[in-house]
Amino acid sequence: MAHELPYIAAINEAIQLEMERDSDVLYFGQNIATTDDDPFLQAFGADRVRVTPISETAEIGMAIGAALAGLRPVVELYMAEFMLVAMDQVVNEANRFRYMSGGKVKVPLVLKAGYGFTAGWAGQHTGSIYSMFVGVPGLKVALPSTAADAKGLMATAIRDDNPVCFFHHYLLTLEHGEVPDGEYLVPFGEASIRRAGKDVTIVATGWTVDRALAAAERLSGEGVEAEVIDPRTLAPLDMPTILESVAKTGRLVLVDQATRHGGASAVIAAEVADQGFDSLKAPIKQVTALDATIPYSEPMERFVLPDEDKIVTAVQQVLGSAPVAA
Amino acid sequence: MSGNGLDKDRLGWILTQMTRIREFEERVKSTFEEHPGAIRGHTHLADGAEASIVGSIAALRDGDQVLTTYRCHGYPIALGSDTKALMAEIYGRSTGICGGFGGSMHLVDPDRGFLGTSGIVGQGIPHATGAAYAAQIRKKGQVVLSFFGDGASKQGAFHESLNIASLWKLPVVYIMENNNYNVVTRSDQEDANAAAGEPLAVKAKAFSMPGVTVDGADPIEVYDAVRAAVERARSGEGPTLVESKVYRLSAHGNIIAPPGVPLHYPEHEAITVFGNRDEYEAALRGDPVPRFRGRLIGDGTLTSEEADAIAAAAKDEMEAAVVFAWESPYPEPEEAVNHVYA
Amino acid sequence: MGEEGSSSDNETGAAALDARAALRLLRQMWRIRAFEERVGVLKRADEVYGLIHLSIGGEGVAAAVCTQLLARDPMYTGHRGHGHALAKGAPMERVMAELMGRSDGVCRGMGGSMHLVDTEHGLMGATGVVGGNIPLALGSALAARLRGSDEVAVVFFGDGAVQAGHFNESVNLATLWALPVILVCENNGFAEFTPRSAHTNVERVSDVVAPYGLERKTVDGNDAAAVWTAFARFLSAARAGRGPFLLECLTHRLRGHYEGDPSQYRDALAAEEWQQRDPIVRLASAGESQRWFRAPDAAAAERDAREEVEAAVECARASPFPPPGLPAELVYAVARR
Repeated sequence: MAHELPYIAAINEAIQLEMERDSDVLYFGQNIATTDDDPFLQAFGADRVRVTPISETAEIGMAIGAALAGLRPVVELYMAEFMLVAMDQVVNEANRFRYMSGGKVKVPLVLKAGYGFTAGWAGQHTGSIYSMFVGVPGLKVALPSTAADAKGLMATAIRDDNPVCFFHHYLLTLEHGEVPDGEYLVPFGEASIRRAGKDVTIVATGWTVDRALAAAERLSGEGVEAEVIDPRTLAPLDMPTILESVAKTGRLVLVDQATRHGGASAVIAAEVADQGFDSLKAPIKQVTALDATIPYSEPMERFVLPDEDKIVTAVQQVLGSAPVAA
Repeated sequence: MSGNGLDKDRLGWILTQMTRIREFEERVKSTFEEHPGAIRGHTHLADGAEASIVGSIAALRDGDQVLTTYRCHGYPIALGSDTKALMAEIYGRSTGICGGFGGSMHLVDPDRGFLGTSGIVGQGIPHATGAAYAAQIRKKGQVVLSFFGDGASKQGAFHESLNIASLWKLPVVYIMENNNYNVVTRSDQEDANAAAGEPLAVKAKAFSMPGVTVDGADPIEVYDAVRAAVERARSGEGPTLVESKVYRLSAHGNIIAPPGVPLHYPEHEAITVFGNRDEYEAALRGDPVPRFRGRLIGDGTLTSEEADAIAAAAKDEMEAAVVFAWESPYPEPEEAVNHVYA
Repeated sequence: MGEEGSSSDNETGAAALDARAALRLLRQMWRIRAFEERVGVLKRADEVYGLIHLSIGGEGVAAAVCTQLLARDPMYTGHRGHGHALAKGAPMERVMAELMGRSDGVCRGMGGSMHLVDTEHGLMGATGVVGGNIPLALGSALAARLRGSDEVAVVFFGDGAVQAGHFNESVNLATLWALPVILVCENNGFAEFTPRSAHTNVERVSDVVAPYGLERKTVDGNDAAAVWTAFARFLSAARAGRGPFLLECLTHRLRGHYEGDPSQYRDALAAEEWQQRDPIVRLASAGESQRWFRAPDAAAAERDAREEVEAAVECARASPFPPPGLPAELVYAVARR
């Protein structure tokens, strides 16, 4: 059966269930388990649950070392940007260890970090930088947009024998959703078709999925039925589902909160242009953040981000019913 | 040599490992002349550090683990890894210990406790700290040795790791092999303590952990210090910083050159950069391998025939390793996409 | 190799602080206190938003350090930087406007509370990444040395930053190159929601850096006069080209880590205990007993501060929001032809 939970609680439920199931799973990071009555500390003890100083290099590096020694750490990093302080450990250590050992060792770990807190947290705490990790061989990248997916993807991340970057969206923190009881796993590399439609394919990630669904409702009122797909993981990426949809609709709009250049939407666009060219009846459109650090002031913050209006306009452009911007 | 439990067998073992490491490294170096092109990229040798490496590892028992830098050949040799597979890895062959995927800087042998290396200065220190965390909660009494150079002690990773290890009382011993150089930079040019003429072990005070400096050319002095640190770690009292003073007898590594330019080992930076031939020659005179051999013969622990036999066996072993590597096939190109994910 | 730091130094530094400077100090502290209290109210009303960290309780350090600096001394701070910014000379109405995201904000609404910049007054920047700009302060000090100027670089950070790798890398390099930079650590015993003991075994920051041998001192950060004296000594040495220095100020953070933090992780400070520690109360009473100023002066300091804050709020409210297209213009610097 299922129960209603906020997104953040669904993630914690997954961590808790996995820690109950497998005593090798650890959970550590800054500012967790700071009081004796912390539920994780009480349930699993001070061996497996620890608070660390502000030391991202050591936190992530230690996770690698503990994984090499056979444990399965989950590192609480809070904000995606804090991973940047320890970039070597993420993209030049964790990811490549197994490969360079010729398969002798594995590095099962989860880096849990929030992103996109576009509520005035300003440029250093609001980026959608997950795309930086998508092309890194050996890393997996998960990006849930619902509470159920948050639970299922976290559980899968913990059971995966590879380093997984699990990015949860801060604006979704308190979004409630139906979450299956007990053990629940969402496989990596399996997109979710959130809404079926025949006229245009919209692929949206994270927080933009709800914007895309809202845009689809509006478009439906205009007689346009949009198919909305959430890839759920960017690495591995479920291209077959996307290609199948584009083969049906012939039109593709990509929505992502990251900046335009070097983002997930660019990756998907290139793959569709390569493998699905014959299906396309119009150019592919990307609706992303502008190429700018997220500004603090609210009207500017809103301006740089993708929103429902911009998605609707992009759909109209690929349908030929709106002029394409220069 | 009584009082530290080192009997004739153990002392013979120490000399044997030191000799094997030296012989292996000499063969790696001579490959650049004998088989140009066989070794690509950048290799870093442990000649001069054998006493420090073996003296440390002699303090371990089964189940203990080791992580190091890219100057990594010596440790798995002392831990018992197959030297044919090690040489084949350096030659990039499919029979290499990592299947040709890693090369000289990235040897791995988890079955013998050698969990791996990093090619990025200092970044393996947190890995060792994490392995020690795992050891702590497993409660099997395992200890981890984390080897790195003096250059790494300026890296944030060093500070963050030693702080946490001390706070959590992790069963790890941090062994800083201070060879006074970071490639072409002398440590007094980059380290505030070195510039002030202080031993680098003073850095331990910042983490509230014991710090000790030893002569890394004397395997027994190294053994004594590391054994004490290992016991401290094993008993749950936490980490120690051991500064082991060594002198590397080769240059930092072979020259760095684009493909097409033959690679070779230049002279030591003391000479090529600082014009200090005296320093280098003094180090040669203090070469730890013949020094220890001489000591064991001198005090009657070994006869010179026994010592010669050790040397001959090492020579044969490493000759066979080279032949094995040279004759081994390369991996199939398509194998390159294997092992990306578990 | 440099002085031993002493813990909990009890020097009052009365001799170093004269009446004029003491009154200036008190007035600056009241400006910060009034500003921060008002921002707390505005935050609850959503007129300022995002992540706000108030420095109530930290006024002594901010004022004692910054009022001794010149506009051209480069200063850096962190996420809890309003007080440092005001004391360094950033105009109050422009800081307020920045928190409200308006065009007349010091960063035109681009940065917000944690990212204040006012290079005209030497506020080189603030960062939301703990300790992230300590290396930048070294760069400023290096530039000053290379230009042959007597500018001194100052950077503020908390005790949580000391465990971060970049802090340690910076201390080594600053000491090695003897850079004219003063590292001011506000040790309030907490890093976000965890006490110092969860971060390290070493209680005093001055003990962490002791192995490097740089000159360092630990003072009671709630004693503005003591901070003043200790900093003055370091400042004059740094102006003569010496350095680096570390000044550890033991302080108390009265509010939670951020506005909205329920602070369940520590005991609330009893009202009487706070009165004993409040740096403004302490300076006011020291001022009266030292005859630096009289009670009416102290009262005027508060009154004037609150008036100035209200005027700043009105000014900020009247400032328009920035044009939405501004971000795109500011991503890259454009060469002037």
